[in-house]
Amino acid sequence: MKTFNPFQAVLHRRATTMEKYLGGIIVLYITIVSLKNPLFFTPETLFDMIRSGSGTMLLALGVLMVLVSGGIDVSFPAVAVVSSYLAVMTLDRTGINNIWLAFAVSIGIGTLLGLGNALLIHFLRLPTLIVTLGTASVYHGLMAVVFGTNDFTTGEMPTALLDFGNTNLHTVVDAETGQSFGLTVFLPITVAAIVGVWFVLYRTMLGRSIFAIGSNEESALRLGINIFRTKLFIYTAVGALAGLMGVILFAELKTVNPTATLIGDELMIIAAVVIGGAKLTGGEGTILGTVLGVITIQLFQQTLVLLGLSTLWSDVFFGSVLLVSLAVMYRRQRIADRRNLVFAAA
Amino acid sequence: MSRVRHLLARDQNFTILIGLTVLVYAVLVPVLGGRFLSASNMQSMATQVAEFGLLAMAMGLAMLTGGIDLSIVSAAVLAAVVGSKFLRGDFIAITETNHSTVMAVAIAAALVTGMATGLVNGTLVAKFSVPPILATLGTYIMFSGISTVVTDARAVSVVVPEYPKIAVQTVADVPLIFVIMIAVYVIVAFFLRRTRTGRRIYLYGENDVALRFTGARNERLVITTYILIGLVAGLAGVIISSRANGIKVGYGDTYLLQAILVVVLAGFDPYGGRGRVASLFVGLVMLQSLQSAFTIMQFDPFMKKFIWGAMLLAVMVVNHLMNRRAASKGLAGAAPTAAPPAATRVSAEVTA
Repeated sequence: MKTFNPFQAVLHRRATTMEKYLGGIIVLYITIVSLKNPLFFTPETLFDMIRSGSGTMLLALGVLMVLVSGGIDVSFPAVAVVSSYLAVMTLDRTGINNIWLAFAVSIGIGTLLGLGNALLIHFLRLPTLIVTLGTASVYHGLMAVVFGTNDFTTGEMPTALLDFGNTNLHTVVDAETGQSFGLTVFLPITVAAIVGVWFVLYRTMLGRSIFAIGSNEESALRLGINIFRTKLFIYTAVGALAGLMGVILFAELKTVNPTATLIGDELMIIAAVVIGGAKLTGGEGTILGTVLGVITIQLFQQTLVLLGLSTLWSDVFFGSVLLVSLAVMYRRQRIADRRNLVFAAA
Repeated sequence: MSRVRHLLARDQNFTILIGLTVLVYAVLVPVLGGRFLSASNMQSMATQVAEFGLLAMAMGLAMLTGGIDLSIVSAAVLAAVVGSKFLRGDFIAITETNHSTVMAVAIAAALVTGMATGLVNGTLVAKFSVPPILATLGTYIMFSGISTVVTDARAVSVVVPEYPKIAVQTVADVPLIFVIMIAVYVIVAFFLRRTRTGRRIYLYGENDVALRFTGARNERLVITTYILIGLVAGLAGVIISSRANGIKVGYGDTYLLQAILVVVLAGFDPYGGRGRVASLFVGLVMLQSLQSAFTIMQFDPFMKKFIWGAMLLAVMVVNHLMNRRAASKGLAGAAPTAAPPAATRVSAEVTA
């Protein structure tokens, strides 16, 4: 008799090992936290996590596409900051106080910077990490040199951006304290991006080419896949997502600081995607895994306080989960490889 | 004439690097004059370059194996934290008379910590087949997490007064820590050129599967290499804590990009198997000279950031163009940084 599996009914596939493992860790962690501190199960916690996690999720989607194609891009925080800072400046200088203009400028610039990455990566044929390390410094440094690094305080920011950050879909009012918590408008944007990336990766030829390139570039080439066009798509899409994220980030923070924000967070976000099962070899990676990875990192960064631990511990927690999952994931592949007499690595 | 040309073709990269360095000096010396060439500036350059030179060496060793080590800076910081905690008297009470003992123990502890970080990286790469870039990404987060937790994200200050003096000591007017760095370079160069393990590191980077089938123990080789990387990073940690009279988490964050820059600049192949210690040293001299010139000219940090990034890209473009020219002339085998044929490149990309 066939048992009904809700997971399979929704996703039309089985959960991958990493998804199960990570789901288990999240459930275990939430159980411990909520036993220790009942404050955890409030709309406030949930809404807070959605608000602060939306930006990370958008970036993670871009990272997922790059990882699936076998590359690593570390320039996306620089792209996000540069494009949205220029968007804020455009609004400020022209006096057009319109959030759509901010999005258009930011996504446009993000796409252009992504195009720069794509061209260099394709024509230099060098490790994507090194190329994007170079472009990240060039983009951020050039922006600072040409346009300066003046901060915008909340008072100086274009009000369209502040209004956008304050827009809520739904507001819950705490009966006792009278405080209200809003479910941010970032959520539908993030969900739309998740669905969009899922559709591209799993329902289009383009998406299948991304997996094929990550699995084996030579085979993909001989299959007739246009590698240049695929890479062009991947890196411009990452740029566009970063541009989108930058506007959301500054709207959430309610201040604009182009030097101290986000720069340096790239490795953590890549780690969140890796933990979700995206492999650098073999074109593997799932949207669900990425979502779980982002949730894990958000949980560790936001809720360790509820356990009575300082946030200083978040790196240790996250680092251990990451190292264990890497070891488990690649050990399995190694065993399978050895059985097939493949001696690819070490 | 043909011999010279042959030599140039064989080590094109080294020749170009020396040419570039001469060019940099030809521009800097007349422009900045005495301020740049003064003995005090040379001395301060030699002092500043020591810790970075060691980190670059660690990165270079990782790249010889076809990997990359993102954890070198956090490993150095962790080693410095362990050493500094000893020197603050956290583990052994510091009395009037035991300063030298405490210092010896602290330095040994820092070096052992460095080697332990290498052992963790090496084990993940060799025994679990985790790609080096991801393994060291994980350990980078882990090591800096541990440093953050044990120091509470506060600075650890050394109380042994002799310890910071190591960094300012000179041997015949040359800073001692610079001498230490040179010694490490010479030892590593000898190790890579003249020992079996050293030669095998190159072979591993060139083709690890072929090396495996010659009967070499690849796994042990990888672990040994990463322990060596950790040791070098640990030594950098000792120098850092001596220079800064302690350590604070977040020290040297910009070193990672610069370490990759100087290693690529020196003609190391990111896909492994090619790279010379002598080139690395020349690259280091050039980068530090520019760094010092920028400081004298009072460039703002973002200008520097832009220049480093642009240099990294420019070097890669030049290398690429040179390789293409060499390949079209049929010199692919002779040029030191020639691109591997398409098939191996793809598999290298996958493992990279």
